[in-house]
Amino acid sequence: MSVRNIPAGAVGRRRKAGHPVALIVPALLLTAVLMIVPIVTTVVRVVNDGGEGLSRLFDMPNIDTVLLNTLVWTVAAVAGGMVVGCFGALVLQSKHLRGVALWRALVMVPWIIPGVVAATIWRWTLSTDYGILNQTLLDLGVIGEPVRWLSDPDVVLWAVALIQIWVTAPFVMLMVSAALSGIPEERYEAARLDGAGGRAILWNIVLPAIRTTTGICVLTLAIWALNSFTIIYVTTSGGPAGASTILPILLYQAFQNGDQTLVYAVALVQLLIGAVFAVLFARTMRTDLEEQS
Amino acid sequence: MKRFVLRGGSRAGIWVLLAMLMFWSLAPVAVMVFTSFKPRSDIFAVPTTLLPQTWTWDNYATVFTDSSMPRALFNSIVVGGLVAVATLIFCFSAGYALARYRFRGSRPLALVILLGQVVPLTVVLLPLYQFVSRLQLLDTTIGLAFAHLAITVPLVTWMVRNQIAAIPVELEEAAQIDGGSRFDAVTYITLPVCAPGLAAAGMFAFLQSWHEFLFASVMTSSTEARTAPVALTEFSNEFNVDWGATMAASVVLTLPIVLLFVLMQRYFVGGLTGGAVKG
Repeated sequence: MSVRNIPAGAVGRRRKAGHPVALIVPALLLTAVLMIVPIVTTVVRVVNDGGEGLSRLFDMPNIDTVLLNTLVWTVAAVAGGMVVGCFGALVLQSKHLRGVALWRALVMVPWIIPGVVAATIWRWTLSTDYGILNQTLLDLGVIGEPVRWLSDPDVVLWAVALIQIWVTAPFVMLMVSAALSGIPEERYEAARLDGAGGRAILWNIVLPAIRTTTGICVLTLAIWALNSFTIIYVTTSGGPAGASTILPILLYQAFQNGDQTLVYAVALVQLLIGAVFAVLFARTMRTDLEEQS
Repeated sequence: MKRFVLRGGSRAGIWVLLAMLMFWSLAPVAVMVFTSFKPRSDIFAVPTTLLPQTWTWDNYATVFTDSSMPRALFNSIVVGGLVAVATLIFCFSAGYALARYRFRGSRPLALVILLGQVVPLTVVLLPLYQFVSRLQLLDTTIGLAFAHLAITVPLVTWMVRNQIAAIPVELEEAAQIDGGSRFDAVTYITLPVCAPGLAAAGMFAFLQSWHEFLFASVMTSSTEARTAPVALTEFSNEFNVDWGATMAASVVLTLPIVLLFVLMQRYFVGGLTGGAVKG
């Protein structure tokens, strides 16, 4: 596009500004090089391989486990993150609390510490013999013998999901808190005058008002969980015996083995799953875009 | 104001709930801090206690004198600084155009940049690795910073766009009526007005880079380029983990960003929620 394409009326005002597209080009080129070209490469490579990578991927003996793990991990991380996040947001909205600014800052800590650090702390906390969690639970008599959080194949996926929840719940608290503060006081008063009780207010005023926000939160948490690598890799590397391997871990292992065909095949599967969420995400954000402009 | 939900609970009740929330959020952090002060004998003592029996700075001494951590921290600062500066340059121009102009294709362009957020990093890992390799930038801080732009540019463009959209365009027009060019208007009006927001956006880009592990672990291997998150994993090998030093290094990695966050919290939170939440 060139300057000549601008409608005549607009030229006067924008004479000295240059064409707006020129301002976007650097960021766009960067996005192209960093995102679009890799995506196209992935699709082209899988097609050129004649689907060999895909058939090898789906012939892998543990592929069912990996897909199931990815699903369970994502659902657990999203559900847990939403529950903890909404709980936190509601507690921090309470009128009876003093020093809310401090508490709000403190609950953000799990989110702002680096993922590697979070994973490392939890790996130590969840240690079977020396971990403080097992020790505490034993002292309280909740468990009879130490739980092998990160080495028992039946437990490990829930344990790593717990870490993901710990890291991501503050984001939900932040977003939901902001949405709750946006509800005008009059709306509560009006409802109370109409004789609504606490539950009716929660159901008919609070929940509808924060629906968009919770939608964005669910989508964001799901995307983060599906793409998550660091937490599982640092705590278990996908083990024991693949019990906590999800798609990104599988891709990384193929990468380390130099198996490019398999890397591209896994990447394509991740892309297709991601595309579904991208459409939902774009739809939510487009409404946002229209309301703002 | 929002008494309704917890109205049934007494004053004491809400403090109990808050205590639970704080315990959940901070107990693991306490484990990190206290373990970093434990001597080796305490770390592997059974039964485990939260507090050290004897307090020691030895682990910190190990981190700063007997490991690659100091160099890795320096590398992290270099990479994060490069990422922050480059991100701000790219995103301010793009964000400005997206906020102020409507032109054919502006919405699809905005969506393309926005959707960069949802592309899984592992998906772009191999092509990006090969690209950086072809530029002869593997195992350099510049190459890693370049890869990190894939994470920051989509997010920050959006943050900056929303900040600029919140500034009345009349301010710029006033400057232009007084004889300034649009460029002057942006330089003397828009930039100063959204400077705090831009600082937060730059901070955000820096933090993303400071956190990043996947690209860093694949694209850097030598001490000269390795960043702190990767160096942190090197206190452990397959058979033995120096947990004391690992926790001390974790504290060192966490402390500066927690301080920064506390200082910048207001801008940070505003910039982040500004895009998605409206009253």
